Amino acid sequence: MTAPTIKVVDLHKRFGPLEVLRGVSFEVRRGVVVSMIGASGSGKSTLLRCINHLETPTAGDVLIDGESLCFRNGRDGERKPRSLSEINRMRRELGIVFQQFNLWPHMTVLANVVEAPLRVRGLPRKQAMDIANACLARVHLAEKALQYPARLSGGQQQRVAIARALAMEPKVMLFDEPTSSLDPELTEEVLGVMRELANDGTTMIVVTHEIGFARDVSDRVMFLHNGLIEEEGPPEALFGAPNSERLRQFISKHLR
Amino acid sequence: MGNWQRLVWDQRDALLAGLVVTIKVCAIAFVIAVLIGLLLCLVRMYVRPLRPAAILLIEFFRATPILVQLLWVNYVWPAVFGWPDSFFAAAWAALALQSSGYLAETFRGAIEGVAKGQREAGYSVGMSPVHVFWRIVLPQAALGSAPSIVNQFTVIVKSSTLVSVITVPDLMYQSQKIVNVWYEPIEILTATAGLYIALVFVVSAVGKAISDTLRRRYAISAV
Amino acid sequence: MSESLHQALDLSLFWEYRNVLLHGLAVNFYVFAASAIVALLVGLGAALARVNRLWPLRALGTLYVETFRNAPEYIMVVWVHFVLPLLLSYLLRSRLEFNPFASSVIGLGLVYSGYFAETFRAGIEAIPLAHVEAGRSLGMPERLIFRRIVLPQVVRRMLPESVNQFISLFKATTIVSLIAVPDLMYDVTMITQQEMRPLPLYTGAALTYFAVVLAGSSALRALSERWRAKIYA
Repeated sequence: MTAPTIKVVDLHKRFGPLEVLRGVSFEVRRGVVVSMIGASGSGKSTLLRCINHLETPTAGDVLIDGESLCFRNGRDGERKPRSLSEINRMRRELGIVFQQFNLWPHMTVLANVVEAPLRVRGLPRKQAMDIANACLARVHLAEKALQYPARLSGGQQQRVAIARALAMEPKVMLFDEPTSSLDPELTEEVLGVMRELANDGTTMIVVTHEIGFARDVSDRVMFLHNGLIEEEGPPEALFGAPNSERLRQFISKHLR
Repeated sequence: MGNWQRLVWDQRDALLAGLVVTIKVCAIAFVIAVLIGLLLCLVRMYVRPLRPAAILLIEFFRATPILVQLLWVNYVWPAVFGWPDSFFAAAWAALALQSSGYLAETFRGAIEGVAKGQREAGYSVGMSPVHVFWRIVLPQAALGSAPSIVNQFTVIVKSSTLVSVITVPDLMYQSQKIVNVWYEPIEILTATAGLYIALVFVVSAVGKAISDTLRRRYAISAV
Repeated sequence: MSESLHQALDLSLFWEYRNVLLHGLAVNFYVFAASAIVALLVGLGAALARVNRLWPLRALGTLYVETFRNAPEYIMVVWVHFVLPLLLSYLLRSRLEFNPFASSVIGLGLVYSGYFAETFRAGIEAIPLAHVEAGRSLGMPERLIFRRIVLPQVVRRMLPESVNQFISLFKATTIVSLIAVPDLMYDVTMITQQEMRPLPLYTGAALTYFAVVLAGSSALRALSERWRAKIYA
């Protein structure tokens, strides 16, 4: 039995006196799409950011293909925290798409996508360009390659952000509320691309408010509340017959 | 107004020579100011043991008047450091120091102003902090600082009128020489004032046009 | 080099003349205070011209501001001191000479009025239209709206922002030494010619201005922070 692509083990995160994650554990196997839903402050974004180490967990561990992201085995056999350069190396296997897109405004769309394959992976120029163009085509934005982000709509910028993350050919794609900053008319183009990725077998962890997407596309849904996974299961079970009262209320509030 | 002919037009060679010197001094001072300002800023922000020294230098260059710096660099430095070896060098050195302090603070604000998300996007694709700094933060900080940089250039041009005090033959020096010869200051001083105002205006307008175009293209707001 | 460094840092000569030099520093402050008043008043006037309804006034205001904002302080002071009296002499048909103190105050005041005009204009344009409309709907005449609603807010908002310009103005007062106003730099230059020892004197002058400007600007900034907190609290 191979190791799961992502395994989160008893993750805790506290900010000063505030404990945001109180012991979250789950695993995601290859090709599986997991959605995380929950109210604001439930810890979903923090959990995602701990997975790619933008936040350092207070306790617990994250394992990628069986390899710990947070710790390594020292020469004396003791567990030591990983150095930043090692974490960076492992981060290449995780793609993340932010709520605020975070495209680099002083670079063209193509430059945004090609930067990491070219300069972080160190691929030869032709190969990097091919990958970048392929990713842009995959999000249906090949014709915008030489534009600057300022000229693109929110939905287009977010799709470029997806392409940028895909260009590193990561094992897992993480999505942190990818459509929350978008006008309603623009969310569908981004959700459409995410649906296509899911159909292609991409391993995805999606933090979202879009219940419809979670129900239609995910293999598994996790409902977070107060830093813990309150309920977890396939979408039909969670949405069709929710066990917790809180989840019931959440669904009725968010289902359009 | 025959006086204009005699005092200004006939002297145009001398005035032009002065203008050339002014432009040279300002150009050199500007480039050096940006470099020193950047250096001071980076040391202040990232080299912890040298931070107090950097802050001291930045505050010193910002707080002392340009005339004082000019005289100090011109008379005290050669004896203590052995350089500058010419009035021209003292001129651009003092002008550069003056602006470097302001630019250091401008750069610091611009660097700190680059949104955290920009850096995080870089880290998330595996870029090292140094890589993120050079390719993501610094270009955006430079674009955000553009209006302040242009402003410092105009400050340099305006302050350059004082280099005549240490006998650098700039435009101001040449026109004062003409006044001393002919004892009729009205036309020449008015013309000189007009020339300087026009020069600063052009620098400022061109700089603003360039920085506006750049920032509009990339949609980066000013610091 | 170390001998010269020692000389430069041996400020005993500077200390010897401290009475004269202190008096010179006071002159810098006098010039600063007088120019600041001129600059603020004229600057406010120019700002009002720039936001006026009548386009000739707006044009005149813009011309004024662009001229003086882009003028180097030194050439302006020199011009006011040497050219303006001659021009006025022709007009008034009598010989006129300007006291260098007056020339400095006028020259610096005019240049800095350009900067303050822009600051005031930004402040005026930043006042939300809603405030003005509230006054209008109460039937207040325009002049009263300006005096009681717009102007106090402009002054309160922009004065802290002008701290940097005040500091610049103070530093610019050293220029007056070049037209024989007996400020600190003038005294230093005179003493240097007498004593032939520039190192301690110029170093001492640099350190003095450093200390004064640093202390003054910290104090001004602290005051303006307190002011700002009161307004926006």
